[in-house]
Amino acid sequence: MRRALFLFIALSTATSFAQVPYPRIAGSEGAPSDWLTYSGNYQSHRFSALNEINRQNVGRLKPFWIYQVRRTGIVETSPIVVDGVMYITEPPSTVTALDVRTGRPLWTWTPAIPTDVIIIGSPPVNRGVAVLDEMVFVGTVHGHLVALDAKSGAVRWDVVVDDNKRGYYMTAAPLALDGRIIIGVSGAEAGIRGFLDAYDPKSGRRVWRTHTIPAAGEPGAETWGGDSWQTGGGSAWLTGSYDPALNLVYWGTGNPGPDWNGDARPGDNLYTCSLIALNATDGKIKWHFQFTPHDTHDWDSNEIPVLFDATINGRARKLVAMANRNAFYYVLDRETGEFLTATPYAKQTWADGLDAKGRPRVRPGLDPSTDGVLVFPNIQGASNWPSPSYSPQTKLFYQAAREMGTHFYKGEIKYKPGEAFVAGGGRAINGDDAWGAVRALEATTGKLKWEFKLLSPPWTGLLSTGGGLVFGGTEEGNFFALDADTGTPLWDLQLGAAVKANPIAFAVDGRQYVAIAAGYSLFVFGLP
Amino acid sequence: MSPIRLALVPFTFVSLLIATDMRPAAQTSQSAADIEQGKKLFQGMCARCHGLDGTGEEGPNLNRPTLTRAADDDALRAVIRDGIPDRGMPRVRRMTDGELDQLVAYVRSLGRTTLVATSGNSDRGGAIYARLGCASCHIIKGQGGSFGPDLTEIGAARGPSYLRQSFLGPAEMLPRGTAPIPGRGFTEYLPVRVTTTDGREVVGVRINEDPFTIQVRDTGNRFHSFRKSNVKDVEKQFGKSLMPSFRGRLTDAETEDLVAYLSSLRGAQ
Repeated sequence: MRRALFLFIALSTATSFAQVPYPRIAGSEGAPSDWLTYSGNYQSHRFSALNEINRQNVGRLKPFWIYQVRRTGIVETSPIVVDGVMYITEPPSTVTALDVRTGRPLWTWTPAIPTDVIIIGSPPVNRGVAVLDEMVFVGTVHGHLVALDAKSGAVRWDVVVDDNKRGYYMTAAPLALDGRIIIGVSGAEAGIRGFLDAYDPKSGRRVWRTHTIPAAGEPGAETWGGDSWQTGGGSAWLTGSYDPALNLVYWGTGNPGPDWNGDARPGDNLYTCSLIALNATDGKIKWHFQFTPHDTHDWDSNEIPVLFDATINGRARKLVAMANRNAFYYVLDRETGEFLTATPYAKQTWADGLDAKGRPRVRPGLDPSTDGVLVFPNIQGASNWPSPSYSPQTKLFYQAAREMGTHFYKGEIKYKPGEAFVAGGGRAINGDDAWGAVRALEATTGKLKWEFKLLSPPWTGLLSTGGGLVFGGTEEGNFFALDADTGTPLWDLQLGAAVKANPIAFAVDGRQYVAIAAGYSLFVFGLP
Repeated sequence: MSPIRLALVPFTFVSLLIATDMRPAAQTSQSAADIEQGKKLFQGMCARCHGLDGTGEEGPNLNRPTLTRAADDDALRAVIRDGIPDRGMPRVRRMTDGELDQLVAYVRSLGRTTLVATSGNSDRGGAIYARLGCASCHIIKGQGGSFGPDLTEIGAARGPSYLRQSFLGPAEMLPRGTAPIPGRGFTEYLPVRVTTTDGREVVGVRINEDPFTIQVRDTGNRFHSFRKSNVKDVEKQFGKSLMPSFRGRLTDAETEDLVAYLSSLRGAQ
């Protein structure tokens, strides 16, 4: 009896201290019941090994519970699930903990956002939290990084990442590593100088800051005319990936500022529209690869970098792949940044392919103009923030592609702190002339294996599972499951509002569930 | 012109004058240049729907003193910045405040120009509308058939050239994104031919659609719902219309009379 009591105390102590230690996140592939980091694992596969829901029985999938958010707004959250508790975010920066067995809220925390908060470049949304040890971390639209107690939602610490009055804000889920909380900022549309920060999870002390735009005299500064680097943009507004063995963080960077008029920033504008690999310990950039030099179409490269290993030309390689907003799918060596291959995965009219180093051969005459210039992909890209999925079972990279063009316009360049610094805009083609598809690409080559057509350019992330399924949603409000090998639709349900979110999977009491946000609600599905 | 509109015109001019007078002198002297710059922006971004000089096309004409959804400059700024969801008006993304002001200045200047005259006679046009049997498919002020679009306010929503085209060659001018359903700029009244796997065939117009289902009204105005898994083929007939073309069936004068009648349909005034 005494021994049993002792064991109970020991166990409860173990769970109340360091509930999610770093090794638990690093080993998340072996523990698919939880969903411990934004993209499911550090490699950003958004893959669940759970297979209770599979090709044979997915047709019987039913809603388990539904949670309705407390405020209206676009719900783009990707939930985190830990030991029976789900952590979601509600627009603009609220964190709510839910009981995963019932959907009943356990606590909710809302920051005091000033009414004159500056959010230029996206709607006031949040895409999720990070968990580490006994804390939950969130970035807010007024530029704070906040650590909350996982049990109660009480604030452990609250730091200002940068000045919202100058346009810095956050929508991305932080990335929790061993002793590091990594967060990037939004704000290129307000002419910020982008950066990526690391904070000490215990104290909130900043450990390093790495700017995505070099200052005068630093390497890469020669790619900016005059002092244009000072308002160079290069936000780091979506969550990156991590390779524990190489201790490298992989993070995409956004557009140069101003977006649609490049006249004042001659040069390639490093490190905008790039993937950067940084040492997690000190933030030093090990390598970079720029997808779209001197971008004038707002084709941020913040998309999720997906890490996987494969043999290419007889050689085992550590790879990173990205379905870029510019409509090309890229595969790079993630140790060195060496370009290996790229191929269009959606319609593009701006480049005559790429050279041997992966630099695009840009077609002339497609810069934005006063009268408008029609270019594919569209202003919001062939991809955007919604996540792709990589299945280690099928070796396929799943991407919801947006088939759409935009008439791009050029405007005047005028910088004023905290105001839009964009110099132009766009009118996207819509209706029946715009569409989309879930595409399955051979991960090492980008070769199309199958596609499932969508009526509208999607804003859905994808989840692949050990049950041989790919889950996703539509702008018309469908949530669906496709056969991961063939793209055949196996199940769908109308949720009543557009899906603009990333799906996840988890298990509780031995049963598998799938979760997705749509409209003002979060839906959880399971087998009856 | 109705008495109410007559009353509104001087009021609007007064407000404009006050607004102009309250501006600092430096800005007042720029206003001609602002309007000129606004015109350039308009021709690039707005003219496709609102006509080159705001005379209206697929979108409403803007050369009138009061705009339905933009009573004042702030409301007009909001319409340009946010668009009109479900009504085909896209939001103009990320213009600077200066550019937005220039565009507003130009659109307001259009309100001081005269309306494009339709040479036709709207009373005679009304008689032609009745003679052609348009009311079998269209509602005006609650009267008529519901297969085609309600025309009660069509004169406020469309410019004369669009209206002319709409009955001379309706297939070339199907409405897009004017209604909340299907929305997002989709072609409305799109003719479809649905063939089910068990061999049934339904011809009608698409009401709504998603990747898994389609909703159709057939030519008898009956509603049909299909799951695409039970459908062999959905033939979307872009470039066709279930409305007959009246090209060659009306004289030029009759055509202008019908345009004048449709232009006069502006709902409750």
